[in-house]
Amino acid sequence: MSVPVLQVSHLSFGPLHKPILDGINLKLEAGHFLGIVGPNGAGKSTLLNMMAGLTPPSSGHIDLFGRCLTRFSRHKLLSQIGFLHQLHDATPRLPMRVQDVVAMGLADYATPWRRNRHLQEIVDTLKLLDMDHLADADFRQLSGGQRQRVRLARALVRQPKLLLLDEPSAALDSVRQEKLFQLLRRLCDDAGMSVIMVEHDIAAISSHVDSVACLNRQIHYHAMKGEDIPEDAWRAMYGDHIHIVAHDAHCIGCAPGDLNQEHQTQMNTDKITGIQR
Amino acid sequence: MISEFLASPVMREALLPALLVAFVTASMSVMVMAHRLSFLTVGVSHASLAGLGLAVTLSLPLLPTATVFSVLIALLLALMPRKKGISEDAGTGMLFAGSMALGVLLISSTNSARVDLFGLLFGNILTISPVDLHWLYLMSSLIPLLFVLAARAWWSIAFDAVTADASGLPVSALRLLLYGLVGLTVILCVKLAGIVLTAGLMILPAACAWFWGRSLFSLWLLSLLFSVTGAMAGLFFSYIYEWPSGATVVLSLCTLFILSWGLNWAKSRLTA
Repeated sequence: MSVPVLQVSHLSFGPLHKPILDGINLKLEAGHFLGIVGPNGAGKSTLLNMMAGLTPPSSGHIDLFGRCLTRFSRHKLLSQIGFLHQLHDATPRLPMRVQDVVAMGLADYATPWRRNRHLQEIVDTLKLLDMDHLADADFRQLSGGQRQRVRLARALVRQPKLLLLDEPSAALDSVRQEKLFQLLRRLCDDAGMSVIMVEHDIAAISSHVDSVACLNRQIHYHAMKGEDIPEDAWRAMYGDHIHIVAHDAHCIGCAPGDLNQEHQTQMNTDKITGIQR
Repeated sequence: MISEFLASPVMREALLPALLVAFVTASMSVMVMAHRLSFLTVGVSHASLAGLGLAVTLSLPLLPTATVFSVLIALLLALMPRKKGISEDAGTGMLFAGSMALGVLLISSTNSARVDLFGLLFGNILTISPVDLHWLYLMSSLIPLLFVLAARAWWSIAFDAVTADASGLPVSALRLLLYGLVGLTVILCVKLAGIVLTAGLMILPAACAWFWGRSLFSLWLLSLLFSVTGAMAGLFFSYIYEWPSGATVVLSLCTLFILSWGLNWAKSRLTA
C-alpha cells in the first residue's frame, strides 16, 4: 500500500478551553483533490498554514510523504509542496518581471550557485495559466487577476507533489475560475499531484474535487464524490439559523421568501450555490 | 582639474576607501529598500554614537566597539516583539533616541580630546587611519560575500515572506543576518558620511535605481553605478570647492536621485 501524501492525526490548535481547530484527522492519497469549505473564522487558513509548516500545532501531528513534519524535517518536506496563501500585497513594490516572480517558486531559487535558470519550466508553467505572453512584463503593472495567476504559476513551477491553495480563485473571473479548477483536476489525474483547496463556493468546486471536508473548528463531514452533505453537517458548520437554498440560472435574484418548499429542501451539493442566513 | 584631483595624494588615499564603501552600500541599499529598512539605518547609525561613547569611556578601540554595538542594536530591532504591538519604527525610534542620549552623556563626561565629534557626526574620509583601512578591507570583503550567498533568499522574503517560509527558507535566521549586515554596513559608512549622513548612502543608490531596474540583478548593477558615480562626484566637488567630503557625496547622490526621478517622469510622459 502506498504511503499517503498527507496524514493529519488528532490535530488541535489554540487554547484548550476555546480551540481554533480540534481533533482534526485527514488522509490524502496521491492524485486526490480535496476541497475544504467552512464559514469565516472556521480555521480553514489556519489548517492550511499548519500543513504548510508555517504554524506548529498545539497537539497532534502532520505527516507529509510518510515523514512527520518537524522543524528539522520541514526544509526537505516543504520543497515538495506548492503553497498559495491569501495575504497578498495589494500594491507590490519590488520591480520584477513575471518570469522572475515565477522563478521564486523553484526549489533551488535561493541557492547562489544554481546554474540552470529553468527558463523552459517557467514558460511551460506560465502557459498552463495562459500567461506566457506576459513573461517579460513588469509584475507591478498587471491586474489583480493576472497577478493571482502568476502566483499560481509560482506555486506550480516546482511541480509539487502536494499543492495547498487558500482561495486561489479570489480575484479571478468566473471563466478563469472554471479554467483553474479544470487545470487542477488535470494535474491530479495526469501528474498524480494532490491538491488541497480552501474555497467558499462549494458549488463552483463540487464538480471538480474528489471530496469536500466541511470545517468549522472540527471536520463535521467529509463528503466523497457523488455524496450529498447532510443538513446537520451544514447546520454544524454555519449554525441553526441558516436557510439552505438550492437555485439555478432560472432564479437569479431570488430570495428565500420567493421559493417554494420543494425548492428549499433540495440538498444536492452539486446544485447548491448559496447559503443564506 | 580632473588630473589635478587624481594627482592629489590626499584624494588618492581617499579614493579606494570611498569606492569600497560605495560598492558595499550599493549592494546593501537594494535590500534596505526591498525590506523597508530605511528608518532602521537611520536608527542604527545614530545608535552607534553610544558605541563610540562606550569605546571612549572604556578606552576601547573605536570602530570595533561601535561595530559590535551597532550590530547588537540592529539584532535587537529584528527581535522586537512585533506581535505585542511594538512596530519596527516605534522600536527603532526608542533605541535611536535612547542610544543617542547614552552616547551624548558618555562622550560629554570624558576628555573630549580623543573624540572628533564633528568627524563622527558628519564623517571625513580624508582622515582615514591605517587601522580603519584594514577594518574597511575586512568588512568590504565579508559583507559582499554574505550578500551574494543570501541575496536571492532575502529578495524572496521581501517579495512574499509567507511563501518564502512555506518553501522551507529559514526566514527568521535570514532576517537576523540581514539586520546584522545592515548594522555592519552602517558602521562602514560612518567614516565617510558620519552618523547623521550615513542613511543617505544606505538608501539613495537603490532609490535612484528603483526607477529603472526590472530585476534583482539590474537593480544591483544600477545601484552600483549610481553609488560609484555619487562617491566620485562627491569627492571631486569636495576637492574643488573644499566642501566636507561626506556631505558632498550625499548631496551628489541626492542630485542623482532627482535626475533619475525627473528622467523617469519625462519618459513616462513621452510614452503615455
